[in-house]
Amino acid sequence: MSRKPQENPQLDMTPMIDVVFELIIFFVVTIKQEDLFTKLNVNRPAPASSTSSSSDEVTCNIELGRRYDGSPQGVIIYNKREVKRPELDSCLRDIARTSTKTPIIIKAAENSPHKALVDVLDICYKHKLYSVSVFTL
Amino acid sequence: MARKPQQNPQLDMTPMIDVVFELIIFFVVTLVETQKKDETIEIEDGQHGEVITPDTLPAQHMQIDIAKNGRISMGNVTLLPDEIKRRVSDKKAKWGEFPILIRADFATEHTHVKKVMDACTSAGIWKLSFMAVGEDKTHERKRLSKMRK
Repeated sequence: MSRKPQENPQLDMTPMIDVVFELIIFFVVTIKQEDLFTKLNVNRPAPASSTSSSSDEVTCNIELGRRYDGSPQGVIIYNKREVKRPELDSCLRDIARTSTKTPIIIKAAENSPHKALVDVLDICYKHKLYSVSVFTL
Repeated sequence: MARKPQQNPQLDMTPMIDVVFELIIFFVVTLVETQKKDETIEIEDGQHGEVITPDTLPAQHMQIDIAKNGRISMGNVTLLPDEIKRRVSDKKAKWGEFPILIRADFATEHTHVKKVMDACTSAGIWKLSFMAVGEDKTHERKRLSKMRK
């Protein structure tokens, strides 16, 4: 069982390569590609300034609510009627064509699902309408 | 069984390298585990937002998680809105204006989001961001998004 003194002592690379391959396999199997995240910025309206700014400018009001069946889709109300996402998309496209600085005011009901808010914000961002404020009804 | 005294005694590096690699694996795996966030949250899609990369999001930011049932947490520690407010104003005193990222589940009721927004606003941060998924790369979300409809 005793080792013979080597003539030319060298590090045996074989186990190391084995371990390295093991590591490569381990990481290839376990690595999970992360989702790419985005952020949608909103402004909280300052209580004092909101009244003065809304009087002389054209604003776009969007209301959010929840269906009675409690589905996580939510309801989007624009111009006093319910709109689907493609409709809101074309409405906001027209607004953006006039001016992308048009302030968008989103009024969310207490029980509206967060999905509706994110959907509306996403459509606003799609048309480069960045001055969005969120109120709570 | 006794070893003969070697002519040219050398330390055998192989087991040491094995152990070091084992340690590396251990620490890498445990580090990934302790990346703290609320794992139950499923975020809504939003392809048109600003893409979050380490460059666009400064290190001085805050991320607040809101789960479906209204649990508000930071780093997977449950917090009350008052505590959020205190933390935000502490950070504001230290950093000045800084971005706050709200990571809320798609089914969270707006009341819970409002609580967080009000806490941030009363601490003096007016600009908030909601997190959305720009590009879906994990297959688990596809299954969940079917359930959503």
